[in-house]
Amino acid sequence: MVEATKVKLRPLYQWLDDRMGISALMNSALHEAVPEQGGWAYTLGSATLILIALQIVTGIFLTMMYVPSFHESYQSLHYLQTNDLFGAWVRGMHLWGSYTLMLVIGLHMIRTFMTASYKRPRELNWVSGALLFFVVLGLAITGAMLPGDQAAYWTMTVVTNIPHYIPFIGDYIRWLWRGGKFIGPITFTRTYGIHIWLLPPMLLGLIGLHLYLLRRHGEFGAWVNYDTEGPDPDREIAARIAKVEPPYPSRDVDPKFAAPNRTVDFFPNQVFKDTLVSLLLVAVVFVMALLMGAPLDGPANPATLTYVPTPEWFYLPLDQLLVLGPQTWLIAFVVFVIPGITATLFILLPFIDRSPERNPLRRAHIIVPGLFVIFMMVTLSVLGINRLYNL
Amino acid sequence: MAELSRREMLIGTAVGGGAITLMLAGPVVGFLLSPLFTKRRTETAVIGPIDSVPVNTPTPFIARLNEGDGWNIGPIPRVVYVVKYQQVVGPGQPPPTLLVFSNTCTHMQCDVHWDGTFVGAGDPVLNGRFICPCHGGLYLMNGTNIYGPPPSPLPQWVHEVFTGEDGKTYVRIQNDFTEKI
Repeated sequence: MVEATKVKLRPLYQWLDDRMGISALMNSALHEAVPEQGGWAYTLGSATLILIALQIVTGIFLTMMYVPSFHESYQSLHYLQTNDLFGAWVRGMHLWGSYTLMLVIGLHMIRTFMTASYKRPRELNWVSGALLFFVVLGLAITGAMLPGDQAAYWTMTVVTNIPHYIPFIGDYIRWLWRGGKFIGPITFTRTYGIHIWLLPPMLLGLIGLHLYLLRRHGEFGAWVNYDTEGPDPDREIAARIAKVEPPYPSRDVDPKFAAPNRTVDFFPNQVFKDTLVSLLLVAVVFVMALLMGAPLDGPANPATLTYVPTPEWFYLPLDQLLVLGPQTWLIAFVVFVIPGITATLFILLPFIDRSPERNPLRRAHIIVPGLFVIFMMVTLSVLGINRLYNL
Repeated sequence: MAELSRREMLIGTAVGGGAITLMLAGPVVGFLLSPLFTKRRTETAVIGPIDSVPVNTPTPFIARLNEGDGWNIGPIPRVVYVVKYQQVVGPGQPPPTLLVFSNTCTHMQCDVHWDGTFVGAGDPVLNGRFICPCHGGLYLMNGTNIYGPPPSPLPQWVHEVFTGEDGKTYVRIQNDFTEKI
């Protein structure tokens, strides 16, 4: 009797495969060579992708309750937090997802920076990734402006005021973002539009480019993946290039770095590690969302005499720069010139660090300035925490 | 239909594509820029009476002002610091000047608050500070920015002083500042 009810899946799959080419698609998506050594460090990119997907999913569901308006933003979220059975959990996942995403993107960048994976021919992998990072920062700050509580209202005030220090056109940009002189109804609809409709398509487009370039050039890995063992490195490298599988050998590069010394198949080796790390991170988000949730202060009060606004932790370095730069032209200097130069150098890194050398110990002229930037950000954060929380 | 040359086809496609782009961009960019060309509504609110405000002691009032931009979302509370400022206190001195401050910091527009616990060196204007909690800006009671990042003095509301039917003094403030911040 059991046989009679058994659905024959194989013919059904065959029918679909003939029409859609599923097997061919899966083969090209899953089977390609990746460096054997260091696979755990190369899981950070896919973890970023999974966390962005988590943000999109939770964000889509939050739009089903949230109202982008001066008063109703708070009311709708207060209702979501207190009356909706799972609302606080979903909102918590969106917040902790963003925090985790920020950390993982940071680690992914540090990994790529240390191993110089951005070198020829992978310059645009780095540039697209750097632009992705700025889009994510934009999403994080517009997201922090929307809840309509005190924290969000003052974030909105400060962030929309920053463009005012751009010479000549700054006042117009502030006015346009706010839709008027003060924070008002249009500020909410515009910021919401930027957060859910303007930035996410840019994010998706850049992710597409980033992944396409990754698949075109192959995962670089690290300098250890290109070591030679025998007495005749040239012959070893030539043999390596002769027998390597696609997407290697990389084009337009020093032969030493054209193909890794040992590769494994992306599926199942790397996929397994990627899945395990993503599972761990999503589980952290899931649990933190349940235990900590996302805070919601009292409703926005433009007439407060007691509230002390504090920025999100990932903006603390910039906020502390604001404290340290008194007077008008210095404000523009610390808000635009210092971060602007840093961001430009950051995006253009592959065109600055052009030697074939990949080992961080032999790239001190690049690694030391990079560590200095990280050190400054940590120092500014510590100063900011000390100032805001009186430790 | 006559045969199109390669040149004609490319020019035609470029012109057509450009026209499509302009027809999309024109209205959208205009829509985006429209707040610049939309007139603000003038809204007013009355605070007071201010007769009991002591000299050289900034005193907060809450004005409930309608937004001047976008659709009306009802009155929004705004802080008005009334200061009867007298530079030198004593008999025979000129009467105090009435200052009607917003509590909007000129740095990043956070809400400042008055803290009267600082004691100046004999000079009354040095007593107390307006403190900005965001980035630590400090102002004197006459609005002067004396410390931290604020680039200009505390702004005053556009206002007029009038005597109410009860014979007391009131201030009508308008949803604009006298200084550009």
